[in-house]
Amino acid sequence: MDPLAELKQTFFQECEELLGALELRLQALDEGSTDSEDVNAAFRAIHSIKGGAGAFGCTDLVAFAHVFEASLDHLRSGRVALEDAPFALFLRCSDAVADLVSAARNDEPARPRPDLLEALEQVGKAPGAAAAPVAPVAAPPPVVAPAAPANDAPLGVAALGNLLAMVEAKTGPAPAVATGWDDEPVVTPAAKKPGRDVILRISPESDLFRRVIEPRVVFASLPAEDIVSIVCDLSHVPTLETIDVSDCFMRFIVTLRTNLSVEDICSRFDFTLATEEFEIEVLADAPANDDRPAVEAPAAASAAPASEVSGSVAADLSAILAKLGPANAAMATPDLQPAAPAMPAPVAAVIEAPAAAKAAARAPANDAAAGRQRQAVSVRVDLDRIDKLMNLVGEIVITQSMLVECVRSLPYDVYAKTAEGILTLSRQTRELQDHVMAVRAQPVKAVFQRMPRLVRELAQTLGKEVRLVLEGENTEVDKTIIEELADPLTHMIRNSMDHGVETPDERIAAGKSPEGTIKLIAEHRAGRIVISVTDDGRGIGRERLLAKARSRGLVGADEKLAPEEIDQLIFAAGLSTAEVISDVSGRGVGMDVVRRNVESLGGRISVDSEPGRGCKFTLALPLTLAVLEGMVIRCGDDRYVIPIASVIETQHLASTPIEHLTFGQEVLRWRGEITPLHRLGAVMGSSGSPNENIIIIAETERGDNVGIAVDEIVGQQQVVVKSLEGNYGTVHGASAATILGDGLVALILDVDSMLRLAATGERPPATELKLAG
Amino acid sequence: MTLQLGEKHFSSAQPESAARRIVTFKVGDRTFGIDVGMVREIKGWQATTPLPHAAPHVRGVLNLRGVILAVYDLRTSIGLGTTDATATHVIVVVDIEDKVAGLLVDSVSDIVDVPVSAVRPAPDLERDEHGLIEGLVLLDTDIVALLDLAAVIRDGGVEAPVAKLARAS
Repeated sequence: MDPLAELKQTFFQECEELLGALELRLQALDEGSTDSEDVNAAFRAIHSIKGGAGAFGCTDLVAFAHVFEASLDHLRSGRVALEDAPFALFLRCSDAVADLVSAARNDEPARPRPDLLEALEQVGKAPGAAAAPVAPVAAPPPVVAPAAPANDAPLGVAALGNLLAMVEAKTGPAPAVATGWDDEPVVTPAAKKPGRDVILRISPESDLFRRVIEPRVVFASLPAEDIVSIVCDLSHVPTLETIDVSDCFMRFIVTLRTNLSVEDICSRFDFTLATEEFEIEVLADAPANDDRPAVEAPAAASAAPASEVSGSVAADLSAILAKLGPANAAMATPDLQPAAPAMPAPVAAVIEAPAAAKAAARAPANDAAAGRQRQAVSVRVDLDRIDKLMNLVGEIVITQSMLVECVRSLPYDVYAKTAEGILTLSRQTRELQDHVMAVRAQPVKAVFQRMPRLVRELAQTLGKEVRLVLEGENTEVDKTIIEELADPLTHMIRNSMDHGVETPDERIAAGKSPEGTIKLIAEHRAGRIVISVTDDGRGIGRERLLAKARSRGLVGADEKLAPEEIDQLIFAAGLSTAEVISDVSGRGVGMDVVRRNVESLGGRISVDSEPGRGCKFTLALPLTLAVLEGMVIRCGDDRYVIPIASVIETQHLASTPIEHLTFGQEVLRWRGEITPLHRLGAVMGSSGSPNENIIIIAETERGDNVGIAVDEIVGQQQVVVKSLEGNYGTVHGASAATILGDGLVALILDVDSMLRLAATGERPPATELKLAG
Repeated sequence: MTLQLGEKHFSSAQPESAARRIVTFKVGDRTFGIDVGMVREIKGWQATTPLPHAAPHVRGVLNLRGVILAVYDLRTSIGLGTTDATATHVIVVVDIEDKVAGLLVDSVSDIVDVPVSAVRPAPDLERDEHGLIEGLVLLDTDIVALLDLAAVIRDGGVEAPVAKLARAS
């Protein structure tokens, strides 16, 4: 992939995170949060998206994000009070941004949203949303904000996008960047302002352009108002015969008058220059900041020229702040916080003057520093690498169990010593495995975040009012499970929205509040992740469900079922109680699909319903699909692994009464029920001569029981799941394979697939390696 | 990078000397070959775990440093029965498209350079119904049959007539 496409990819990944953050913050505000950080974070998120989108030429996205950002800015500035803000609109806009992002990602034309844009434009124009006294002061000049790598927004491509966006904004007004290279160095008003004189010698490697970096991007990472002059040194340009136009031969000498520390300047080049590509020389401290009021206006003007809040307003800002007492200044400071780190130097200096304000200014700065630190300790790692690590750990687990088997055959005195070491090794291996699993673990937030949008859209389609409450979003599970969660959860929420929660009128008639509530809760319980979807709707209509089940022949006409048993019918195939078959659900392919998916993951789903009060679906899943607890069994010469989750109990074959039906089908009586019995060796075609001694009672996905006769139970252990599909194809009767302690492969049985294999009687269609052509 | 390009130019500039580097191996007294580029490694026989109801030429799966690998018996594919595998038998681990597979043979003989012009198309033999052989090379006194690995693995000499028809159309 070429570097630009790669960057773009990263940008879209970041967009997902930013969109998630945006939605969460807006959600919090919609639910009544008054935390200014929620507003700021939402603003930063949309801002970062806009910046990145600009850098990659996603014009539709930029246009929309720009209007959206502007209206959020009204909140940030206090021009629109939080309680008056149309968060429902904002949430729909955040959905629209998500659509635009995915359109841009897939290179599809975006759906224009003039309705939303118009509504956004109205925000802030509404009567009554008059400016609070400090509002114009606190409104940071929009061009200043981009210069600030947002406090806790990811400092990745989006930030780079910000820089690019800023360069565009500055092409006119920042003379240092825009002016052509004359003989005279470009001099800006910065020469007159306080700060130290710093000389920067920038000697980029010749591949600068190929790294998609332009000199103006490099300069843009410096505060424009600090740049005194930029001199281009063209002495390294080779002769015309040897010149390669894609090489950069320019060197630059930049003179700064700045308050930035050397480290600070270095860090600003993180994205653009390697450390050996520039030198920093600090000359001397400039004169004290006595004449501050005189110089700050032009400096500020150069910082905020293109915005509607013009330079003179920025100057007013400093003047007003200077006049305000410490208390007032302190009050104003929190609003300034997002822009503070890159505030034009003179303004920042004014804020710092009064002692109280200084303290107030430092607090958010510390937070920002802490935020940066948090970022520094987390690393983006390619999932592929983690998978490789996981594989390697799997290898070690296998080698270790191999060692254990070898050691058993040693003479006792040697064994005793070695065993101790092996014991330690196995403890460490287990620990290593846990840690690697922890690295792969992700909070369920990744999936939960998609649900509010689903609920909003469904609520609109169905004409219902629903509040979604998320809890335990930070509960972590392995990424293999995360990937599988989205579908069942979507179905469950749909089901609750469609069948559970009533329309507002019905709810009022039932004495409930018109707004329904759906709770989505995740938690760890007994080594599993348990996710529940609870609604306060009408509950399962048992009579209708039962009637339908009877008409479909699922339940006998005179069969009596307990209420709980009726509820379970919701998981039966082809049953739906929705009177109107809607777009949302009602085709009877809902909960049975969910159940099948969940069970194929080794999970369970259950339902509790209280008529008139609501319904609760509970989903319990293993924490990972990468390892499973299995029972190792032997049949003939072959060994198999059967997941413990499928095993109900084991018993001796000899003590079990077995009866023969037609065609060699055997059945056994187990807990008063007639249970089919299959001999594993015959079904799986095991080599050697099977001599069955043990019956394993296993459970199928449908909840039926089945007896599986095997020769021997070898043991119980955690096994690493290895795909058979990767290099071979589907194997009937098995879901995957694993490697046992002796290095040999054992198939992991899939009870349902095995039963299908047994039922076909003859050989199923030959498994074949699927190759193109 | 430039150097590599230069080499490529060099070799393609002289097509008469273009050669295929072939790994040859034996099953019984017959010699087969595949392009060396497809061979990932060569390892001694190792017990496999049989797969239920797999095609006859699928010997089963084994663990190649943590990866599950299916092993195909070339002897079965060419209609000479099942190899009675011992420690002296060899598994040629090959890359086919995006998969890795093992080919069970008796022994690996040699690596030879064969001029491209020396490869003759396989005669349209009645017996090779599965198109396992891609070409023939005469090497000293031996006839080396170059294998179409994908066909070996896909068909394994047991392809049903229906499937064959489907493929032909």
